[in-house]
Amino acid sequence: MSTSSISSIALPPEQLHEALQRSRRQRATRRWRLFVSTPGRIAASVIIVFFTLMAIIGPYLYPKNLPINPHDIYGAPSLAHPLGTDFEGTDVLALLVTGSRYVLFAAAVAAVITLGIGTLAGLAAGYYPRLAGSAIMRVADFVLAIPGFPVLIVLATIWQFGSPVAMGFVMGVFGWGGIARAVRAQTMSLRERGFIEAARGLGLPGRRIIFAEVLPNIAPYIGMNLMLAVTAFIYTEVGLFFIGVVSYTTSNWGVMLNQAVFQAGAATSTRGLSYLLSPLICILLITISLVTLSGAVDEFFNPRLRRIR
Amino acid sequence: MTAGAEAARSEPARSEPAPARASEHLDGSAAVRVRDLTVAFPTPDGPLPAVSSVSLDLVRGQITGLVGESGSGKSTLALTLLNAVSDPGRVTSGSVTIDGVGDVLALHGKSLRRVRGASIGYVFQASQNSLNPLKPVGKQVLDLGRSHGVADLRGLLREARSLLDDMGMNAERVLASYQHELSGGMRQRVGIALALVLNAHLVILDEPTTALDMLTQASVLEIIRKVHARRHLTTLIISHDIGVIGDLADRIAVMYAGRIVEDGPTRQVLASPRHPYTRGLLTAMPRIAGDIGQAQPLPGRPPDLTSIPRAGCVFRPRCPLATDACGQAEPPVTERGDQRFACFVAAGEAS
Amino acid sequence: MIEIRELTKTFAGRGGMLGRSAVPALRGVDVTIPDRGAVSLIGESGCGKTTLGRILCGLEPFDGGDIIIDGQSLRALKPKDRVRYFRRVQMIHQDPYSALNPTRTIGQILADPLALRARQRDADRDWERSRRAELLELVGLDPDYVLPRYPHMLSGGMRQRVVIARALTVDPEVLVADEAVSMIDVSLRLGILQLLGDLRAKVGVSVLFITHDVATARYIGDGGELYVIYRGMVIEQGQTDTIIHRPAHPYTQSLMSAIPVLRGIENPGPDAVMPTGPLDERVESPGCLFEPRCPFAAADCAAAVPRLSQLGGTEQQHACLYPERRSVVAVPFAGSAT
Repeated sequence: MSTSSISSIALPPEQLHEALQRSRRQRATRRWRLFVSTPGRIAASVIIVFFTLMAIIGPYLYPKNLPINPHDIYGAPSLAHPLGTDFEGTDVLALLVTGSRYVLFAAAVAAVITLGIGTLAGLAAGYYPRLAGSAIMRVADFVLAIPGFPVLIVLATIWQFGSPVAMGFVMGVFGWGGIARAVRAQTMSLRERGFIEAARGLGLPGRRIIFAEVLPNIAPYIGMNLMLAVTAFIYTEVGLFFIGVVSYTTSNWGVMLNQAVFQAGAATSTRGLSYLLSPLICILLITISLVTLSGAVDEFFNPRLRRIR
Repeated sequence: MTAGAEAARSEPARSEPAPARASEHLDGSAAVRVRDLTVAFPTPDGPLPAVSSVSLDLVRGQITGLVGESGSGKSTLALTLLNAVSDPGRVTSGSVTIDGVGDVLALHGKSLRRVRGASIGYVFQASQNSLNPLKPVGKQVLDLGRSHGVADLRGLLREARSLLDDMGMNAERVLASYQHELSGGMRQRVGIALALVLNAHLVILDEPTTALDMLTQASVLEIIRKVHARRHLTTLIISHDIGVIGDLADRIAVMYAGRIVEDGPTRQVLASPRHPYTRGLLTAMPRIAGDIGQAQPLPGRPPDLTSIPRAGCVFRPRCPLATDACGQAEPPVTERGDQRFACFVAAGEAS
Repeated sequence: MIEIRELTKTFAGRGGMLGRSAVPALRGVDVTIPDRGAVSLIGESGCGKTTLGRILCGLEPFDGGDIIIDGQSLRALKPKDRVRYFRRVQMIHQDPYSALNPTRTIGQILADPLALRARQRDADRDWERSRRAELLELVGLDPDYVLPRYPHMLSGGMRQRVVIARALTVDPEVLVADEAVSMIDVSLRLGILQLLGDLRAKVGVSVLFITHDVATARYIGDGGELYVIYRGMVIEQGQTDTIIHRPAHPYTQSLMSAIPVLRGIENPGPDAVMPTGPLDERVESPGCLFEPRCPFAAADCAAAVPRLSQLGGTEQQHACLYPERRSVVAVPFAGSAT
């Protein structure tokens, strides 16, 4: 970040305000440019924006009940159906678009819940190690030890997971153990830093110190993990739908995979290949893009990592 | 003095032919000759020099001290002697000629590696922290020998042992220890021993006593003095602490904002400093001896890469003697006997 | 006024409190900090001076002895009641960069403690703003320049001044400066030292100056007292100038001898003292702790711990049985340029 407009001879107050506004804007644009600084990141950003729009707007472009065509089951890609058709003759592209909302929304909800609970737990445990630390960590370890996937399978027998929020909630609640541990470790080490000790010495209340002093310093870690958590949760829920334990009252990518492999036999024949590959490729694209961008998020918060390009 | 300053204002350095390049006046037989060296780093505002047109001689058999504050470029200059300026920094001009090696900047890869360690010993800043934490010291000595193709490894260990003994340590114990088992002072001494064990003739020490206590510092400085004398080394010490340089070094070079503003024999420079920065530094530093009433703080602060003035003398913003001429061009190097300095006003005074 | 009486502190080693590797950091230290006073603690790393500073700020608990702040004995209070008194002692850390939150501007950094103070005094936003400007000017900073900037945009000297301003927001009685200038450029150190000296007069605060660089202790103002600490014990104390120019204890003499001499403008003291033996051994001894390394040790030095006295007719107090005047400090040339 350039400080040349600032650190040279002191400017008079009126000019200073403008100079600082200018440099703040320069800094902001420079930071946002991080996300388009390499071709890989440009592609990643485009992909994420594309899928986000798909999830939000896409389903509105199609009727509630997608048309079926019994004459064209597991059809190959054609002009009318660019990605082929499914077991009912429904257009795969339509399925992809309408199914995206559930998948992405549930993953996002899960990521937010996991990071929310995990961060709060980690901050509390790290900042008050003697009072709350061991108690919270015991709970976190318990959650960490719970085999999330099998539990979800068991839950699926009683709960339909029709709503993506429900799915997101359950996934999120079982996933915060690791984040809590990591945030706690960072909080404990930050606690010894000069400015935290000074804040304690000045008599600032603990809550204020945690949210105003500690949290901004671990924000980069949380930001990165938010993105990576989304990918993890996409895999979890797609996996659940794929193995078929959750009833497919909703159309989503996991269901498509399930249908493609177990009904169409796409794993062993070329029948319904496009039906299989379409959701897979989407998942792959999203995962790679999020991972790429998480590197940009790291640089965003940590100026020392930035290379002059 | 006022008359001199008046003269300087109208015609800077009129009393002598302005040297075309400072390098012409330096001694060609010195052990290390740095000529017009510039090292630049990329910044959002374009490449900026951390070291700018520096020319310096390291006199054979003498200890030279390089003094500077943060942003002076002294560590970058030292690294250049090893051709080890780290990316994204780049040497954009100049040469570093070392006796027996040639221009270090022209060496790369294997030939460069051979020179480092064997011809040039480098003790890094806080070398307490740059020892391998996973290997005992003795193994690191052997690694060093192996990577330089030393045939007699046992002889190398013997050499290391005698060095460590000389430094007042229990050599056997130290060779068997891991880095964390040694105190800061011991690690520093191990760092020095490792730099010398391959019989380099040029040794560079970057902040050798920073973070060490007074007594440990005194003993490390004594060791450096002893080893330098016994092995007839050419030594370069870099420090922000003028006290250390003033005590140990035969010659002193003062760096500010990437330039050498004054250099010469230590006693001479300290007794009659010419450059306003040197003078200011001596009056502004807390000292154990002398009248505390004479101490005066230096206004402003040392510049960083982006705040170095782009035109004129780099010290101008903080200089009590600055004139208009000082803002126009960078002052050329003036020589008075063995002392060199770069200041328009001081050059006028000296005539 | 703060009185530290027979303060002891032991850090538990690997064998617990009584195990072999338990380290006694302070062995019964007495220090008095008068109002508007300047007290320097000199010693090497591990001598306990930093521990003493931290205990005084309430960052570490103490084991034995007492601290009396404005007549109130802290030993008599419950730990949570002590907090109110520890707040009167504020720490200035060695590293000005890590002492400031890198993600906040100077304005934001000062806002929190000022708001706290305003609430305590029933004052309003206007008071906060004017107090903020007042404090920044007191430490020699221009509020318009400094307030909107982040810590990394300021020099080390400026950052340390911000730290001092922040410490002053709660109207402390004592500033504990623990190696407060050792990470700052040499040309900027004098400014901070003189600032600490000025604050004693202007604000009525006392300064406890902890350092291993003895020279800096001379510059924090008049009437300074110096305590030399060796392995958790005070072995010499008195007026700063007296101890620097006429040290009595051989350890103090070796510290003064070790200070580098500026050849060309200074001559070394002729009687330089160096401790004997390896530098790093710490041997517990029933007598004088320095005896194993003292070049002048006599037979009875190892018998019992010498108490502080003025043996030998010295102005200062010291803990040596056989003090001798030795000329160890560097002597400036008469009429040198500086």
